[in-house]
Amino acid sequence: METTLLSYSRQNLPRPARLYSTPSKRANAPALATATQPPSGYPPYMPTAQPTDASVNDMEGFLRRRTSYTMLPTPLPDDETNPLNDFYFTDSPTQDLLSVMDACLHNLYDVPRAKGIFERLRATDKGEVLLDSRVYNSFIEAFLEMALDKDSDQPAGWVEDAWKLFHELDGEQTNARPTANTYALMLLAWLRYNSESGLIKPLAFTDAHDPAALLRSMIDRQIPVTLVVSDRAFTSNDEASQAIQALSKAAVEMGLSKIVNELGMAESLGRQEADPLEDVPEAKPVLRRKKLENIQMTHAEDGRIVDIEVQGPIENDSYEIPFNLETLRKHLSQVVFARRVLAEDVAARQKLLEESVYDVAVERLKHQAELFDELGLSNKAMKSTDLRTWMWEWHQKLQIRLKAEIDHIVQEENRLGRKIESKSGEMKRSAGLSPFLSLLTPEKLSLIAIMELMHLQGTGGVADGMKTARALLAVGKAVELEHKAEMCKKSNLPIPTSSGRTSDHSFFTRLGYRDLQARRVAARKFMEDAEDWTTDWTQVVRVKVGSFLVDALMDVATVMRTGVDKRTGEAISEEQPAFFHSYEYLRGYKLGVIKLNPLISEKMAKESIRETLHPRHLPMLVKPKPWLSHDQGGYLYNKTWVMRFKESQEQQSYLRHASSLGNLELIYASLDVLGNTPWKINRRIFDIVLEVWNSGTRWCKIPPAAFDAPEPEKPENFDTDPRAKMIYLTRQKQYALGRANNHSDRCSVNYKIEIARAFLGDTIYFPHNVDFRGRAYPLPPHLSHIGDDLSRGLLMFGEAKPLGERGLRWLKIHLANLYGYDKANFDERVSFVHDHLDDIFDSADNPLEGKKWWTKADDPWQCLATCIELKAALQSPDPHTYECALPVHQDGTCNGLQHYAALGGDAQGARQVNLDVTDRPSDVYTFVAEMVEKAMEEDVKLDHKYAKMLTGKISRKVVKQTVMTTVYGVTFIGAREQIEKQLKDRGDIAAEECWLAASYVAKKVLLCIGDLFKGAKDIQTWLNSCARLIAKSIPPDRLDAATDVERTFGTGRKMVKSTEATRLKKEQMTSVVWTTPLGLPIVQPYRATRRKQIITSLQTVFISDPNSPTSVNASKQASAFPPNFIHSLDATHMMLTALECKTQGVTFASVHDSYWTHPSSIDQMSTIIRDTFIALHSSDVLGKLGDEFLQRYKGYKIPVSSLKNTSFIPGFGPTARRISGSKAKKQSASEVDLADEPADEVSEESKSVVRTGDADAQVLAALQSPVDVGEKKKRGRPSVTPAAAVMDENKFVDLTSFLPPLPQKGVFDVSTIKKSLYFFS
Amino acid sequence: MLNLRPSGYFKSTLRWSCRRTFTSQSRLPPLPPPSEWKDIFSSSTVSSRDRVSLRAPETAQLIAESFLSGASSANGEGKIVIEAFPGPGALSRALLELPASNIQKLIILEDHPDYLKYLKPLEAADSRVKVVPLSGFDWDTYSHIEEIGLLDDVKTVPWSSGLHPQLHFISHLQHTIKGEQLIAQLFRCIPDGTWLYKYGRVPMSFVLSDWVWERISAVPPNSNRCKLSVIAEATATCTLSLDPAKLLPYDDHFHPITTKYTAEKRPQPRRPGYPLVAMNLIPHDDQLITKGMLEKWDFCLRRLFVLKSTPLKKAISSLAPGAQTMLKMLTDSSLPDSQRVDIGKAPRHLTLADWALVIRAFDNWPFAPEDLMISDAFTRQNAVRVVL
Repeated sequence: METTLLSYSRQNLPRPARLYSTPSKRANAPALATATQPPSGYPPYMPTAQPTDASVNDMEGFLRRRTSYTMLPTPLPDDETNPLNDFYFTDSPTQDLLSVMDACLHNLYDVPRAKGIFERLRATDKGEVLLDSRVYNSFIEAFLEMALDKDSDQPAGWVEDAWKLFHELDGEQTNARPTANTYALMLLAWLRYNSESGLIKPLAFTDAHDPAALLRSMIDRQIPVTLVVSDRAFTSNDEASQAIQALSKAAVEMGLSKIVNELGMAESLGRQEADPLEDVPEAKPVLRRKKLENIQMTHAEDGRIVDIEVQGPIENDSYEIPFNLETLRKHLSQVVFARRVLAEDVAARQKLLEESVYDVAVERLKHQAELFDELGLSNKAMKSTDLRTWMWEWHQKLQIRLKAEIDHIVQEENRLGRKIESKSGEMKRSAGLSPFLSLLTPEKLSLIAIMELMHLQGTGGVADGMKTARALLAVGKAVELEHKAEMCKKSNLPIPTSSGRTSDHSFFTRLGYRDLQARRVAARKFMEDAEDWTTDWTQVVRVKVGSFLVDALMDVATVMRTGVDKRTGEAISEEQPAFFHSYEYLRGYKLGVIKLNPLISEKMAKESIRETLHPRHLPMLVKPKPWLSHDQGGYLYNKTWVMRFKESQEQQSYLRHASSLGNLELIYASLDVLGNTPWKINRRIFDIVLEVWNSGTRWCKIPPAAFDAPEPEKPENFDTDPRAKMIYLTRQKQYALGRANNHSDRCSVNYKIEIARAFLGDTIYFPHNVDFRGRAYPLPPHLSHIGDDLSRGLLMFGEAKPLGERGLRWLKIHLANLYGYDKANFDERVSFVHDHLDDIFDSADNPLEGKKWWTKADDPWQCLATCIELKAALQSPDPHTYECALPVHQDGTCNGLQHYAALGGDAQGARQVNLDVTDRPSDVYTFVAEMVEKAMEEDVKLDHKYAKMLTGKISRKVVKQTVMTTVYGVTFIGAREQIEKQLKDRGDIAAEECWLAASYVAKKVLLCIGDLFKGAKDIQTWLNSCARLIAKSIPPDRLDAATDVERTFGTGRKMVKSTEATRLKKEQMTSVVWTTPLGLPIVQPYRATRRKQIITSLQTVFISDPNSPTSVNASKQASAFPPNFIHSLDATHMMLTALECKTQGVTFASVHDSYWTHPSSIDQMSTIIRDTFIALHSSDVLGKLGDEFLQRYKGYKIPVSSLKNTSFIPGFGPTARRISGSKAKKQSASEVDLADEPADEVSEESKSVVRTGDADAQVLAALQSPVDVGEKKKRGRPSVTPAAAVMDENKFVDLTSFLPPLPQKGVFDVSTIKKSLYFFS
Repeated sequence: MLNLRPSGYFKSTLRWSCRRTFTSQSRLPPLPPPSEWKDIFSSSTVSSRDRVSLRAPETAQLIAESFLSGASSANGEGKIVIEAFPGPGALSRALLELPASNIQKLIILEDHPDYLKYLKPLEAADSRVKVVPLSGFDWDTYSHIEEIGLLDDVKTVPWSSGLHPQLHFISHLQHTIKGEQLIAQLFRCIPDGTWLYKYGRVPMSFVLSDWVWERISAVPPNSNRCKLSVIAEATATCTLSLDPAKLLPYDDHFHPITTKYTAEKRPQPRRPGYPLVAMNLIPHDDQLITKGMLEKWDFCLRRLFVLKSTPLKKAISSLAPGAQTMLKMLTDSSLPDSQRVDIGKAPRHLTLADWALVIRAFDNWPFAPEDLMISDAFTRQNAVRVVL
């Protein structure tokens, strides 16, 4: 076996993969391309004639298999605990302890205190589960560091502590087990204090293991010695080399030849030169690489090396290369991943970008300030003209101030002693902060505060400012992130890149899936081992740290402003604070805000604002780090979660758990696909945008530099007529609002231009993550393809591909679509473009001075980009070979309804949204508009005022938004608002009539949609009913507690004795959870809001504590479920498409239901879109959802009392069969019919299960009767019906038996979509 | 007819018939017996739920007298009265029952159909009455009565020539936030001489909840001191026209009666059952808030009362960036004592004179914000939007 190490490693892993490789992906590009080439003419769209792709079959198989559920216990009410829940959901006090411990360990800030907390945590069940190996390792490391550093005169105690911890780990007295890092640390300890050659003064420790004992333990745990000797614990080449020697010696003594060889290989790897061609200029002499032959490695499933065998001695070269740890690590990581590690130079800029963001910012600010000084512009008046100069000045002052303040806090805390965390409830404002503030240098803290505050301006709907609570949290969070980033890059280990498809398998086969998982787990372990342990901060810590910094900043940051004294007419200058704190009223609530001095906010819309941007706001220069775990992926060093959620611990826990179960491989893989799509800035468009921007005029959604709307005139009778005054003030307000919006638009365009400018000429990437429904979004918030028309116009794919005949045609169709001409069939759209070729060429040549045809397009900037591209293509020598990088879109036509129609097999609905075969695109909006007009005819006959007024005015546009949002559960109120806006915009209906008219139209529209999409309605109702029932249910293990009114809950001050009703309410903690076909668990976060008051020096802020769960908001859970479910499906469809595009080598990007690719790949992507949609909907999505509910909520009970006042649950009758209840025991045993009860149902519940026909009927009657009474009943007075009395006897019903039956499925066959031309178009 | 000895069973009926006798002596069309109001004037609809009206005729009589005759500072002859929110018209009737010379014209503003049924007939019975079916809450209503000539005989009297001899505004104040807004707006019309004040110093009278009265009349350091108290103090003299005890207990005098409905979300002072008082309001001859300064008063008062218990020296910074410089102007030692403000006081402890000085300093400060419309701070969500 002759092979170099590199190629060897690339092929080898994981081994079984090779054996089963199928030619599935062979069916791609070349063959397909020829198949789709139309012989002549232009058929509108050419479906592939080929049989379904093998990988599509795999996909269908995958979707039909039972999805792996991620199951967690339902959160407990806040006054209860149990070990299982503690394991999954950490509470805030514990989290606080963890973060203090983390901060105290950092840089050995206060190791004794950290140790104290550590011991306390270990003593409790709650804490113990949180302490993993990495925490133990951190402590061992800290102890050894203490011995070496802070306490070097008395090292014995610390080293002893380290050995003690090791023995506990090794003796399995803890949850955690030793890792490579642990062994490396202990080896170091031994080398330093025990070996004869003792690096430091030898100490005699009785319980120290010698290398032989350590080696034995390693072997027992199957931890490869190579990983130990290359561990990051070794910081010097010397120590690592000594460790290898010590281990080798032990191995020789123990006669372990394999280990000796393995160590020998490590040694020689470390002595190898790096590939000289990688980063050395050619002029340097090429050194010969040492040959490494006959190395056999065995890998574990997860990619670890479990065994290495070297046959024959390694020949020693004549020249000696010093042992180098870096080299060893680099080579090893290549071995571990079986792929090339990111080449250093490629990543250099991105690394620099992320690594030293604050340092770079400082440099830039400083440079600017110096520049002004040199130019003699440093007098006060001139200085105030530049944002950067100000920021530099603030930074100068702030870092000094912070240093002093932090010193002060440290002293205070020392004076107060160590009682701080024990009375965390009464923690004073800054007490306990010192460990956190010491994590970063004052210089960095200062810059973080400045940059964050500047960047936050205009958020939260506050003009020229931000909400205080949000600002404090954001600054605190930024400090936390920066600390973590520092930890991430501390060891400077190489970061794995996803090298695209490394396996020959389809993503969807079992093997392919396992392969993906194995690779990911290996890479994750590697990354985790490379980083120091850190933990999340609680909201309170974030707010406090944020408050400390913001308060100091607001105190020192000033600007110089000049004005005129009204009385004397003199010019005066005044030094004013740059930020100030104030209060605003929002819907009656007093809300604290931090506002910018008007002088600064003015500049934010004009000047360069690059300094306020952090790399986590920017696209990446290298392919994003692949998603390795829930919080590993995307940016290289900036921690990001793979899911965005707002304060929901439950979502976090599910995600973490699903990830560790390996349920998210395809989610990760598809996000990697999206992240790996290369982009670049469209230079032509950028230049034009810049020209417009600099001119300061309004142009196609670019707001003008100065707001250009006419200011309302003050009426003459302003002073005497309160009415005229009021009208004037309203208009004035409107005007001010317009101006504020203009300003914030201007700021947002400024960001886009700034970013585009920074990346001109680069290939850029957008790391993606998902929202809680699984929809993917790019992480950078300002400029991305998901942004507005301008952002999209500025972007194009990083690679160009030849158009081909079909591509050229699609480019034309794309142009027609962007212009708004998208209702016609494809041929007509092409002719539209041919008819406007003059306009198109003119737009491309003279965008700003010409006829400006493009500016009238629906999406002007993208239209312009397409005009330019089309012209270039048509004028090139051969348009078909023209290399085009412009993305072309295929959009779902009312995608939500498409999913509903497919779910329900609804033939009529399917036709309306183009699932069916038609020769023209059908437009559901037009159709509904026509239906409404028709319905109005009846009313016109009856002389209805609004029917008459609106006849002929119900256009597509009037109903569009309402139709679109019906699927997402728009209410009548919402619909009326949307329609009112549309009617107002028409301008031909008197303003005062709009509201009533809108009411009338909204009613009609909703009625028409109901008729048209009956299938959708039924499914919505079903989803809604299920969610409502689930949200009312109580997990089986809580039943006793929920009904035991005598029990008291909580402790001490909080102890409450509750009534049954309030207790039941408190126990309703069950949220709707389901799993998407790709395995992502989705948890609806809607719960009661409870906010906690935190006193800061600025103001008291109220923030919610995500770690303290509250009861669910049942109505929100129910109303949001249908739209969330549909979104989870469209997200799944998108991801399936992304994966399949990757398999077939098609470039892919998406904006939810708009899928993008190169023009030449449209035909291929169209086939994929249809195949994935069909595969998805052939997998009985609803049936599987129903099954999941039955499993997930097995044993959950609904209190009958909470069903009494509900008027939902249509059709629950037939399935509602079992009724159980604690009081039902009275029923004699003979009445208990267990005949067809599943056995476990009985054993699970000691209480008897009643099944008499009579009781059923009574309960059903009781459940239904209040529904009928509901309307008549006047408020408050509960009417006791006989039926209700019966129900009190039976307190609970089984959730699963009450779930309504699935709605009837219609006759529509989803595979018809294959032939549908306009499904996505 | 009163010779019959009533049995217990008839007692209540008889009492009503006595009342009826009382009203039937009047030439005015009668109101339904108070016991039936509950059913006739349903209080369940949103529009009427918030309205509290006088029900007992005797009480209405007392209040009418306290507004327009005898001890009232606004008494006089030949009055043109505009009455807003009369309800079914107990007070309107009482006003018409005053000596005929007292009132020359009564313009009634009411838009609630149930009440109009009992108001419209007054027009026929008394030629002095004009019923305008519009709400007293809308400025349009006043333009309208002017346009249709109802105020043609109102003279314009210069502010300095004393109280307006004819015009008088009377209203029940709605029991809601709207009522509080209305009276706040009316006070604010005084300094600039808008609304009815373009005719001169028009006195006003209100039946209003004790809660609003507490706020209007609060002086430092009363914890009810608020923006409304300061504006009221600056623009007019407000006095109770009647001993509040005469209007208690609430249920004997007003409609609707107290409810025990537990799911009530409104705060106590805004629910039916909260005590009411009667108040006369006489605008000051000398207005402290000069023309054009109202916006600045509004701005400073609103902003600073947000921090009503924070010492001025700290609270002032929330006015605008750099507003601390105003402190220098307020404490300038070259000024006489009377022109300095103790900046250690919290906004709620500041006297009217203190406020005048604060607003003067604000007016003189070159960097005072120009745009004083506070509610505009919130525009829309997030400048960085994500297209869904």
